[in-house]
Amino acid sequence: MNFLQHVINGLVIGHGYALIAIGWTVLLGVARLVNFGHGQMYMLGAFVTWFSMSSLGLSYWVALPIAVLVGALVGFIMQRIMLNLTIRQDLVSVMIATLGFGYILEGVAALTFGSTGQILDTPLSLRDVYWGDLWFTWQDIAVVLVTIAFFIALKLVVEHSSVGRRVRMVAEDPKLALLAGINVKWVYLGVFCFEGAAVALAAGMVAPRTPILTSMGFDEVIITFVVVVLGGIGSVTGSYLAGLGIGIFTAFFGAYVSAAYSTAAMFVLLIALLVLRPNGMTQSMARH
Amino acid sequence: MKPLRMLSWPLMALLLLLSPTLFGGSSALYSVCTTIAIFAVMAYGLDLIVSDLGEVSLAHPVFFAVGAYTAAIASTRYGLGPIETLVLSIIVVLGVVGFIAFVTLRLHSFIFSLVTYAVTVVAMTLASNWAFLGGSDGIPGIPAFEVFGYRAVNEAQLWPIAWGLLLVTLILVVAFRRSKMGYAAMTVHLNPALARSSGISPERIRMQVFLASAPITASAGWLYAYQRAYVSADILSPYFLILMLTAVVLVGRRYILAPLAGIAIILFQERFLSYGAYVDRIILGSVLVLVLSFLPGGLVGLFRDLNRRIGRSRQPHAESQTLKT
Repeated sequence: MNFLQHVINGLVIGHGYALIAIGWTVLLGVARLVNFGHGQMYMLGAFVTWFSMSSLGLSYWVALPIAVLVGALVGFIMQRIMLNLTIRQDLVSVMIATLGFGYILEGVAALTFGSTGQILDTPLSLRDVYWGDLWFTWQDIAVVLVTIAFFIALKLVVEHSSVGRRVRMVAEDPKLALLAGINVKWVYLGVFCFEGAAVALAAGMVAPRTPILTSMGFDEVIITFVVVVLGGIGSVTGSYLAGLGIGIFTAFFGAYVSAAYSTAAMFVLLIALLVLRPNGMTQSMARH
Repeated sequence: MKPLRMLSWPLMALLLLLSPTLFGGSSALYSVCTTIAIFAVMAYGLDLIVSDLGEVSLAHPVFFAVGAYTAAIASTRYGLGPIETLVLSIIVVLGVVGFIAFVTLRLHSFIFSLVTYAVTVVAMTLASNWAFLGGSDGIPGIPAFEVFGYRAVNEAQLWPIAWGLLLVTLILVVAFRRSKMGYAAMTVHLNPALARSSGISPERIRMQVFLASAPITASAGWLYAYQRAYVSADILSPYFLILMLTAVVLVGRRYILAPLAGIAIILFQERFLSYGAYVDRIILGSVLVLVLSFLPGGLVGLFRDLNRRIGRSRQPHAESQTLKT
């Protein structure tokens, strides 16, 4: 494979990483919360898409919105159960509870979809594009375009809409936002719904690149973590650029060193970053 | 009264040692008791971090795995006995935890927890792919536990060793909570600003508590390797992390017997009331989520609340009786 092919692979993977991470970026920026069940929500999004297509016989264009709706519903249920913890900002309990949710999702998925690996083929992933020596699929093009459109829309909503203004107020100071008449509980519920929906969309778009298993999801949490920290917590543009950077790094590391250790390499990169600038990751959603 | 109280703990310990025999002495019972003791020791290591320090470490499965892999490699490839492998496990885990503590020294709350989570995920990748650790095949053929002429070839013979390890762990945890370090950890947990102004460095205390906690969890991994006679990457599966966390929060935090009781309840369900691996997984995850969301004081808190409510509902009744007379 030539150099340009690795760049293209990196750009596609990078857009996928940015899309996987965006829900977490907003969650962290607004609610100062993390969701360790994020990877299992990604897994669920991929399996709901696969199940809707292979067992219910629905088309990809119907299966994807169903996965997004299921993702939003799971996010809502999670946050509804943990609402008191979120309001109290009991981070320790929230972190452990989200791990528990991830574990439940894995059990439910294995029970519903079975524990064997599956392939999520879509009408776009089966159509190849050859451009000179370069090769990619229509699914790759869709990942790039959907991610760009999603980020532009999100940036517009956060910075130029009344919903975005309320979300930014909660991010800045939840108590003052409450005094200003904003329903903080609904903002938190909405943010979790958004996170669930965004990661399910990412799964439906990105998962056709690899086989899917109900035990997957751990790598996605690490990828998301690295993207969020590298991009600056709460920064939408930063997440996009960090996703691209990590994608290109992964493509070249996988091609020239070892594909099996690419997550480990990403982690080493993260450790270096944390040691060098431990306080450089405190940007908030409010400061756009 | 005091001598009686002093005697009650050794008596309880002795009763615990004899309990599998008292309840019939079947090999299944010895197996579950040994496993409860090993997993409880594993959970006590994490308990110091969650209950005393108030942080969430998700790297404890790695410490458990370090103990197990060190015992497996040292016994199968270098022929070392259990005492040597235990010492080696503690040395190796102190090196690993020292590195993690150094890297996370200035990190707080979720960033700290995320790094520890990443350590576990990367360790899982390493264990599955690195030939030195046996790759996906793992390391089989760990010899039977044999120390000072005592050879444990079955669960009944391994039980006194697991019991001894549990007893030592309980003594260490009590000593930690009564020590200066234990008080300092609680001060850092409850009020980091106050801790700092009274001359306690939260970073230093966190490192010290980590260094104290990891060898406890590693020693559980060390004995687990001998129990299974085989170690593989599944030792880093999320089950162990969720199990430890649930055991720590289920009964109530900072009660000395809480992690032991938590593990006993969970393993009892898994061994005797199991609904299959996937449903058990859903049950374990649900218990963790529900306890955290609705029972912040754990089962002890629940019973205390119930007692209070019963007391309150009785009081007006008693008052009305008095008024009538």
